[in-house]
Amino acid sequence: MTPLTALLSIMFFPAGLTLILSGMLYEWADRKLVARFQNRIGPRWFQPLADTIKLLTKEEIKPQGLNYILFYGLPIVALTGALTAALYAPVLGLPPIYSFPGDLIVTLYLLSLLTMCTGLAGWNGSSRFSVIGATRSFTQLFAYEAPFLLALLGPAMAANSWVIKDVGVYAQTHWMIFTQPVGFIIALIGLMGKLELPPFDAPEAETEIVAGALTEYSGRGLALFHIGKSVELVVAISLVTAFYLGGIGNPFLFLLKTSVILLMMAMLQSILTRLRIDQTVGMWWRFGALLALLQFLVMVLLKGWLA
Amino acid sequence: MTTEAYLQRAGEILAPFAKGTNNPESNRLDVQIAASDLPAAASALTDASWGYLAAITGMDHGAEANELEALYHFCEGSAVTTLRVRLPRVDCPEIPSVSGMIPVASFFERELGEMLGVTVVDTPDASRLFLPDDWPDRVYPLRQGFKPEQAASIQPNKTPEPSKAGNKFIVPIGPQHPALKEPGHFEFTVDGEIITGARMRLGYVHRGIEKATEERNWIQNLYLLERICGICSHTHTSAYSQGVEKLAQVEVPHRALAIRELVAGLERIHSHLLWLGVVAHEAGFDTLFMYSWRDRETVMNLLEELTGNRVNYSICVLGGVKHDIVAEHSASIHKALDFLEERIRYYLDIVTSDTTFLQRTRGVGTMTHAEAIRFGALGPTARASGVTRDIRLDAPYGAYKRFPVSLITDERGDLEARFVVRMKELLVTCFTIRTIVDNMPSGEIAVRFPRKIPAGETVSRVEAPRGEAFYYIKSGGGESPLRLHIRTPSLCNWTSVINKAVGHQLADAPMLIAGMDPCFSCNDRMVTVRRKDDMKTLSWSELREYGIKKYGQKK
Repeated sequence: MTPLTALLSIMFFPAGLTLILSGMLYEWADRKLVARFQNRIGPRWFQPLADTIKLLTKEEIKPQGLNYILFYGLPIVALTGALTAALYAPVLGLPPIYSFPGDLIVTLYLLSLLTMCTGLAGWNGSSRFSVIGATRSFTQLFAYEAPFLLALLGPAMAANSWVIKDVGVYAQTHWMIFTQPVGFIIALIGLMGKLELPPFDAPEAETEIVAGALTEYSGRGLALFHIGKSVELVVAISLVTAFYLGGIGNPFLFLLKTSVILLMMAMLQSILTRLRIDQTVGMWWRFGALLALLQFLVMVLLKGWLA
Repeated sequence: MTTEAYLQRAGEILAPFAKGTNNPESNRLDVQIAASDLPAAASALTDASWGYLAAITGMDHGAEANELEALYHFCEGSAVTTLRVRLPRVDCPEIPSVSGMIPVASFFERELGEMLGVTVVDTPDASRLFLPDDWPDRVYPLRQGFKPEQAASIQPNKTPEPSKAGNKFIVPIGPQHPALKEPGHFEFTVDGEIITGARMRLGYVHRGIEKATEERNWIQNLYLLERICGICSHTHTSAYSQGVEKLAQVEVPHRALAIRELVAGLERIHSHLLWLGVVAHEAGFDTLFMYSWRDRETVMNLLEELTGNRVNYSICVLGGVKHDIVAEHSASIHKALDFLEERIRYYLDIVTSDTTFLQRTRGVGTMTHAEAIRFGALGPTARASGVTRDIRLDAPYGAYKRFPVSLITDERGDLEARFVVRMKELLVTCFTIRTIVDNMPSGEIAVRFPRKIPAGETVSRVEAPRGEAFYYIKSGGGESPLRLHIRTPSLCNWTSVINKAVGHQLADAPMLIAGMDPCFSCNDRMVTVRRKDDMKTLSWSELREYGIKKYGQKK
């Protein structure tokens, strides 16, 4: 692959512009679904785009007493991390354009970059809401990260590969939602924790800590974080779909499958009450991590026995 | 015990301190005591478990009498015992504090101190509660000589520097915060996620209503008082009309009283459904919030149909009500109630069975029966802790004798119990409204009312959706009141929130605040400061020009 095509693929397709736009579309679908569940009308289809354009044109307020390299750098790193992860993920059901042994682990770390950046941005802030939000972001990261990782390693174990592409191909013939149902549920809920969607929105619980770690962000910085989040939504949903719901394949069918996952997430968002941060951690370590570990063990044993 | 027996018992308890007693009304006992005897008298009443401190009314009798007076109203059932303490009309007369035995008195004493310039000795917190920080020292708005116009010309104090937090980590909630629908200020000291201390400050929506009533006539005040609160507007007009009617010795027709109770019932439904939505939102359960507010529209529309207004219904007039409720209305009331009853049952089911919601409410903020009594909690907040206090039953007013409600209590005292009590209360209210509609007494809806009210004073108590609203009204025989004092239920319930917040998670704080259904605009009623020099009124075009100038300079 020449540098030019690499640049094009990062800037436009499948990462870059395409991904940002589809991220906005997913975000709209999520907001609209939640709104309909809550008996509201919900936004029009271009609302996330309009929000982003508005934020980008707004004045960026520069709080006093911060490290400005971090303040301006973190949103860019966060977005870059999410976009880079897309290069290794089967976005829209297409085979990932880059692939190397162990890219699954790298992708998962790139996906955590956004949360790390959000947390650091909060720590860097001078607002007390940011600091509490950052603490909660990190606490939550430690809660869901391990089970989520295990839930995605399950299919990789089954496929005997740590390459996303290979797992995706293997999954075409093996619907792992049936063989590893626990893993699928944990991956789905972990996804919601990763994206800080209700009921895991304690890090940005508006009735307690306003906007959490991002309280002091406005304008461009906030817009970049938001875009990063929508991109992450697409990438992570694609990963879960490819691993558990029939792998890489027909883009149209793939879109349908991701929509089903989105629908389930929207439903969970509207019927659950926000968990306190201690309840979130308790839930993940008492049930999530143990169940994921148990399934992982069963897989290891079965594999050994079959071999 | 009957009211007479209660009053007799109070008389016996207070006999050692009394310098003079008087029975101004059949349910009231006035006991004159010396300032130095106040703590002893208050603790005698508290030790004998005689009632609770409902309010402290401060009064200035003017330069001629050269006297201030503080009235400590204790209530038990429909009996009201008032300890009257006379004070010299000097700059800072001293009165001992009763907050030691009655924690809720702390708020009343702060109000007394800032409004009338009385120094309360040994009060736990003498800082300002309602008046702005830059309000000048030694200017007391409720003293007779003070005219509201003066507020425009007084030189403000410098706004004090915010206190240094030291090495504590304080999370400020308010005055502007997404959790608060009205401005208030709370400081939560936290250790990680655990609250270790709480403080509060009110007064951000202070409008000087008590002072303003003294300058308006009896009729005008009705419309002013209706605007104390946007949620329980009818509570205030009915408490006020009831008191003034008692002073004027006007007999209000039964039909009017029944209509007042009916509107009060609808108001309770709209208030509790609003509250349900707010607390659900604080808990992060927005679906319940959206649903309950959607259903609340039914009762709002019904109120509009009956009275012409959704919020300030303006149905009470002195001597009766403004609009009749006729046969055509009864069908739409029944229809709306059918829908609401079904929804309320559904919400009652949700708040007692939804697992994730229960995680946030069950066992959170538990207040025991003894604590509720000690903190002076009122209304559903107290009833959820098993306290059987409800003015509609203890001292039935208006039509409540004819159309009684049943008492709803719960023993658990946590947030869940408060949900259960409020939702069950709504079912009872729906039932009562149906009874009223079906058995509406016939007759006039209003009688003629005099412009001037004979001299005298009275106490009027009404059960608002949030608890007891207490009105003290004093007439000098003229066209406007000499003194009108209002104590709303929210003010009493704060003590429980501030005390119970310690030890909870920060995430529970907004729910604890909302759990007692606070109403800031009810609390704050008195003053605005217009600065002399540094603030001016801009016209629209001036404002536009200012904006163009300010933002134009950047380019």
